[in-house]
Amino acid sequence: MRDDSLHEPGQALHIEDITVSYGANPALWDIDLDIPPGVMCAIVGPNGAGKSTLIKTALGLVRPVAGHVRFLGRPVAQMRGKIGYVPQRHSVDWDFPTTVRDVVEMGLYQQLGWFRRPGAQAHARALEALAEVGMQDYAGRQISQLSGGQQQRVFIARALVQDAPILILDEPLAGVDAATEAVIIALLQRLRDAGRTIIVVHHDLTTVQSYFDWLVMLNVRIIAQGPMAEVYTPKNLRAAYGRQLAMIATPREESTL
Amino acid sequence: MSALADLLSSGIVRTVLIGAAMLGAISGMLGAFAVLRRQSLLGDALSHAALPGVCLGFIIAGTRDLGSILVGAFITGALAALIMMLIVRRTTLKTDAALGIVLSVFFAVGVVLLSWVQDQGGAASAGLASFLFGQAAAILRSDLWIMGGVGLVALALVLALWKEFKLVSFDADFARAQGFPVTLLEATLTVMVALSIVVGLQLVGVVLMVALLIAPAAAARQWATTLGPMVALSAAIGAASGASGALVSATTRGLATGPVVVLIATAAVVISLLIAPQRGLLWQALAARRARARISDGRVLTTLQGLAAAHHDASYPAERGMLETALGARAPTARIAALERRGLIHPVTHPPETTPHWELTEAGHAEAASLSGKPAPAQDGGTQ
Amino acid sequence: MIASFFGSIPAMILLTGILVGVSGALLGSFLVLRGNAMLTDAISHSIVFGIIVVWLLTGQMSGPVQVLGAALTGVLTVVLSELLARSRLVKMDAAIGLVFPALFAAGVLLISIYARDVHIDVETVLLGEIGFVWLNTVMLWGQQVPIAVATLGAVLVVNLAFVLVLWKELKLTTFDPGLAAALGFLPGVLHYAVLTLTSVTAVAAFDAVGAILFIAFVIVPPATAYLLTRRLWGVVVLAVALSVAACVAGYVLALRWNVSIAGMMASMTGVWFALALLFAPGHGLVAQALGQRSKRLDHDCRALVAHLFTHQDTPAMAEENTLRALVDHLRWPEPRARAAILRAHDRDLIERRAGLLTLRPKGNAEAEAIFGRIEPER
Repeated sequence: MRDDSLHEPGQALHIEDITVSYGANPALWDIDLDIPPGVMCAIVGPNGAGKSTLIKTALGLVRPVAGHVRFLGRPVAQMRGKIGYVPQRHSVDWDFPTTVRDVVEMGLYQQLGWFRRPGAQAHARALEALAEVGMQDYAGRQISQLSGGQQQRVFIARALVQDAPILILDEPLAGVDAATEAVIIALLQRLRDAGRTIIVVHHDLTTVQSYFDWLVMLNVRIIAQGPMAEVYTPKNLRAAYGRQLAMIATPREESTL
Repeated sequence: MSALADLLSSGIVRTVLIGAAMLGAISGMLGAFAVLRRQSLLGDALSHAALPGVCLGFIIAGTRDLGSILVGAFITGALAALIMMLIVRRTTLKTDAALGIVLSVFFAVGVVLLSWVQDQGGAASAGLASFLFGQAAAILRSDLWIMGGVGLVALALVLALWKEFKLVSFDADFARAQGFPVTLLEATLTVMVALSIVVGLQLVGVVLMVALLIAPAAAARQWATTLGPMVALSAAIGAASGASGALVSATTRGLATGPVVVLIATAAVVISLLIAPQRGLLWQALAARRARARISDGRVLTTLQGLAAAHHDASYPAERGMLETALGARAPTARIAALERRGLIHPVTHPPETTPHWELTEAGHAEAASLSGKPAPAQDGGTQ
Repeated sequence: MIASFFGSIPAMILLTGILVGVSGALLGSFLVLRGNAMLTDAISHSIVFGIIVVWLLTGQMSGPVQVLGAALTGVLTVVLSELLARSRLVKMDAAIGLVFPALFAAGVLLISIYARDVHIDVETVLLGEIGFVWLNTVMLWGQQVPIAVATLGAVLVVNLAFVLVLWKELKLTTFDPGLAAALGFLPGVLHYAVLTLTSVTAVAAFDAVGAILFIAFVIVPPATAYLLTRRLWGVVVLAVALSVAACVAGYVLALRWNVSIAGMMASMTGVWFALALLFAPGHGLVAQALGQRSKRLDHDCRALVAHLFTHQDTPAMAEENTLRALVDHLRWPEPRARAAILRAHDRDLIERRAGLLTLRPKGNAEAEAIFGRIEPER
């Protein structure tokens, strides 16, 4: 298979034999992952399981020791702009002098290409994206004045403005108030219903069953993956979380943890 | 005033002022990016590391030739930056240790070279020492062309790659995911910062350069809410500090330029930190006071309304003692006076009692109602 | 003999340098490990302000008053920087870069205005003039001892006492400030104490090596020592030894080449650092480069074992456990894949059975170890 050939175009995200290590420590071992298009997928696992690393490796931000990645059959380099990425909120300094609309427009920089500035069309699209997340009234606001939930919504708007078929979000609900969480999940489900693929690194096992329809359990290697009902089982939870599992909403079966 | 005019008529002084303003502007513009990317102390390390390069340029050219000096300073500065990154990436030492090592060792080598040059003698070697604290008076007409060139290149790059620089400074991960060559862009920005340091050395010297890089940007940040105005303002403050500092230093005997420029720029920072709208400390203190006053007003009004409602009398004269008991604190005289001025409460007498009493006016009732959500009691005791 | 020792200029110059170096190494070991290297840089610069202010107020260039002034200036620098950063209007690195240059500039300005022709010269404050330390002497126990030596000696005694008496507390607050605070050791106070002693040492050292070269003595030997050992006492001892060696070597070379003695001494600390950076056993750059290939191969070998383990006894085995799979799925160029297979074969981890790569018992054990290490305990 050549590096740029079409491979597994039927999967939104196809990861094969990915191994990543930082120095001597393995972060991901021999990951085989397939996420079909049109699902809302959660990636869960204990702390240090490599969830963020998996995302970053898929996006080409981290170099793997082995393996390859395909989005809708194509390598990530050909898919820039078709993947909306929402990094973790704290990876950015929110005291940066810029406005909400400005941040959202950054999602369009790649489409604008080198040397061109965002024009009236870009402004309009940014406002539309802000409206989708309910932040259109904050367009001119300084980002330092936003609450955690508002910051998260701006980040999502930045990914939305690209109109991408695949959205990847890294812990979008961490540290966010309940109202914002509801807004975000409703939005993501709407997008999923419209045919997009949503991939979310999720931190909260208590809500994963109700929000998502596809599940990937990760702990340095893939523990289980597939439709939510099939994968969210006590056996898999135990395998992924081991002793860390204290009180989690148990699946319908009688077994206790 | 005429003294100033005489001064400005001198070609030399004009050269010095233009040069100083240019250097200040360049440092201000690029310093904005350095500050936003937390590279302030890298600037300190690079400027100290430039000393051996300045000496080498001098040694090779045999005289104070700005071109060779700048090239030398840039080379050792770049070397220092690379070694610093090497240390951080390949050892367990942290960034601050790497910066400190590079700064002090390169500077020490510079001191060795400096002593060697001075030992060789020659009047020109005195010009070398001027790079320690800056000597704007040494700027030549011919130097202006080099400075102008560097400034134009920097400006052109910043304008052309504006959105790329902004994105990379704000969210490098996202930029990389979008396919931008982040490493190249970051390297370009760092090189430009190094360039501005190297060029600014003649104005303020190696030791103080870090302040010329940071202060205008720190000051500008307090006033500007977006990147464009911040960079522009930073350049302006840099230019003003440079020019005024150079003027003072050139007209006073034995005063090096560096300290004067730095103190002026620092003064700009202090002023900005105090009075800038929104962020300024005085501003914030005033805003906090206003907020506290508003809350206090609200409590007085709603307390009076509550008392009036309890007595089923909209114009119930509340006695100070009652007010204080209900508030749980002394009656805030200043706020009460303000409320009287605003026509929301009205002092009344209630003989035979001699202590002050107040009643809510109609406007006061409306205000209290909007604050507490409870309707105002009717004049005769019923509710509206 | 003692008289001739103290009377010998070279010996005195060397001794001064060594005293500065040892004090610097003692304090610097904690500063570097705590991440305060650039704060030290800031203090060394702002000391100039303290020196001139004390001189203006009292006319004294040395002595306890200057020591007090130094301590106060050092603390002032740190406190102002931290206050500025705490206002959230300026980030910590920018705060440091604003406070010390301002103080330094003010100091230089005052010197230019008030001390032009007096014995304070800006360049000397900056660079020191260790060659002249023998000029001012004081009578101490029947010997004519240079003032600089006496002062630095006293400072060294204080620093040494501080480090020895508070060794355990310093060790804890350096490596685990959280725990130290929980145990009531006041890491904040200790932190300021170290910085204060650094300021005092800087003032004592300034007319010998100057404010800025002092930084080299504080930061570089401990950093060098840290490349060679992880134990705290090892770092301190090694840093002191490297300092002394740098002073001796620097002095000899400076005389040979007729250059600044203090500058050469400081430069030598850099030379030791460069040597350690390159040649430290195990972690030096040379060792890293040499070990790179072997480590990469070991890595690939383990990745191969993991890959075979994951796919073994699965329907995909026929396709996955082959050289072809390594090239196509793992995206390894053929030479790399072959090298990994060879290495695994040599280590008796795999064998070729019916055209497929399979794990031998040793390979199985290794794979279980890999995955067992990640699997949560049962």
